[in-house]
Amino acid sequence: MTALRARAPHAGLALLIAVFALFFVLPFAGLLERGIGGSGTWDAITSDTALDALTLSLWTSAVALVIAVVAGTPVAYWLTHARFPGKGAVEALIDLPIVLPPTIAGVALLTAFGRKGLLGAPLDDWFGLTLGFSTVAVIMAQLFVGAPFYVRAARAGFASVDAQYERVAHTLGASRLRAFARIVLPLSWPSLAAGAALCWARALGELGATLIFAGNLQGETQTMPLAILSAFERADGLTAAVALAILLLAVALVALAAFWLLSTRGRGTA
Amino acid sequence: MTLEFAARTELGDFSYDARFEAGNEIVVLFGHSGAGKSLTLQLIAGLLQPDEGRIVIGGEPVFDADSGVNLPPQERRIGYVVQDLALFPHMTVAENVGFGMTGEGRERRLGEVLDLMHLGEFRDRKPRSLSGGQQQRAALARALAREASLLLLDEPFSALDESLRVELRRELIRLRSELDLSVIFVTHDLREAHLVADRLAVFDAGRLLQFDGRERVFRAPANRRVAELTGVANILRGRVEAAGDGILTVEAGGASLRAPVPNGWRPAEGEAVDIAIRAERVNLRRLDADDPGQPNLLRGTIREELAYGATHTLRFESALGETVEVEIAARPYEVLGVAGQKSWTLELPPEDLHVMAVSSDAAAGSSASATTA
Repeated sequence: MTALRARAPHAGLALLIAVFALFFVLPFAGLLERGIGGSGTWDAITSDTALDALTLSLWTSAVALVIAVVAGTPVAYWLTHARFPGKGAVEALIDLPIVLPPTIAGVALLTAFGRKGLLGAPLDDWFGLTLGFSTVAVIMAQLFVGAPFYVRAARAGFASVDAQYERVAHTLGASRLRAFARIVLPLSWPSLAAGAALCWARALGELGATLIFAGNLQGETQTMPLAILSAFERADGLTAAVALAILLLAVALVALAAFWLLSTRGRGTA
Repeated sequence: MTLEFAARTELGDFSYDARFEAGNEIVVLFGHSGAGKSLTLQLIAGLLQPDEGRIVIGGEPVFDADSGVNLPPQERRIGYVVQDLALFPHMTVAENVGFGMTGEGRERRLGEVLDLMHLGEFRDRKPRSLSGGQQQRAALARALAREASLLLLDEPFSALDESLRVELRRELIRLRSELDLSVIFVTHDLREAHLVADRLAVFDAGRLLQFDGRERVFRAPANRRVAELTGVANILRGRVEAAGDGILTVEAGGASLRAPVPNGWRPAEGEAVDIAIRAERVNLRRLDADDPGQPNLLRGTIREELAYGATHTLRFESALGETVEVEIAARPYEVLGVAGQKSWTLELPPEDLHVMAVSSDAAAGSSASATTA
């Protein structure tokens, strides 16, 4: 009897797992079924719109990632070790874009950097510099929503490195920079890599903030997610939307796989 | 190589004040955890800054509050082995040991250090694949590799089992003489302290209570607290009856005890003193053999007995009104027939009694004593 009783929840659990898994697998199956079966998929994938959007998406998200890593690494390191009043508030503020709906991020960016924004207005008046509705705005939107993922992961990574290692490195003659490069960086590498991948993926998929702050101009601000949205909104545009979605999915998977390979290799040799 | 150390600092509620020096020797910093031993090493290494003081390593001031000198850790020539070793987990043994080495002949010197510590065959292994003793040697090798002649060791053998500790202590004593090292060695293990120390610094609650040669600290503790910390089982409160030539007569619990006048201090008649005698220094005599009216002889009755195999610890109720603890080796225990007799005469040999001044410090620490006055 006990065996039966122990078994019953297993069956229930198995069913739950199957249903839950199906929920995530089915949409991809649908995408592929529609894409392979539909005519015009190849035309949509090789269209100028698609290539422009893909090119723009790839290089803007790459720039956003580089900025996030270059600026985010020292900030995360400092935040890990600094002690000051209101530190919790600062950390919450940095994490805020993670939970913020992207449309709010777009509106907020517009009120700060748009032509009539807090900083945007003086920039426009004095230098004739307009950030909104430009490729720069695309990168800014991606950075705004993506960088917090990197900083958060980097903070966790740095915090996981026993401070004793750094202290010992100092007593062995290492400068702060050398201790960071030789000890902290290799030991927190998995976290940094995971954070960078998340940051990049989030930047690549950015839609709401980009639409509001940067607009939807082909070749200039129309990234892949925006191109998919535009295609979908056209009459009979589902085929093109599906085709673009498959393209973006494939590129993202290849990039993340390459990234994963690189980072595990990097960890091995560090 | 020499170290001159003087530092005062306040860390929250903890107040620290110590001053000592080291030549070519092993100085053991001894005390309970939280006494300030590890803090002392961090101050020497430059990982913490004292509020006041002066730290000189090999003639070079590395910290001086008055002139504002404060070299960062990487510019102080020390080798520091922290308690948890902190071997870099992502580096091999050779990379760990070579981390602090620079300049010409690096490879050759690295090989020498690895050989010296018998680590040659493990050079390409990661620390986690090493045994505790090998990790210990790797950490020691890494500290030595900087060719620092001042070595700071923080409870370096604490995580090891007894047989490895014995081996590594022997290795340390060998290295000290081979490499002309000054070693500051932190431990809370009394036997370890006794084994490796040339000089002993006894710490308690952020204060350096006594800094002296090993035998002096063990035979002539500066006060009641040092006596307690160094394992003196019997500490009696008494009053000086007569201060004669080289001999004091002290009244304690109605008994009259003779003891030598301590070095550098001559208590006045009527002054309160503490008298220390180690448990292994008390002799047992048969009750009928002597007249208990003589000085330094007491009647006692065994109230408690603990058998440790090689030794027995006996706790006597005595005429002093205090428990007197006696440690006796297994052989004399059997020869005297202690098991079959409860009442004994205790002899406290005058040369093994040590008279100490009653200081306010000592009074504050006396509550932790097994035998309170």
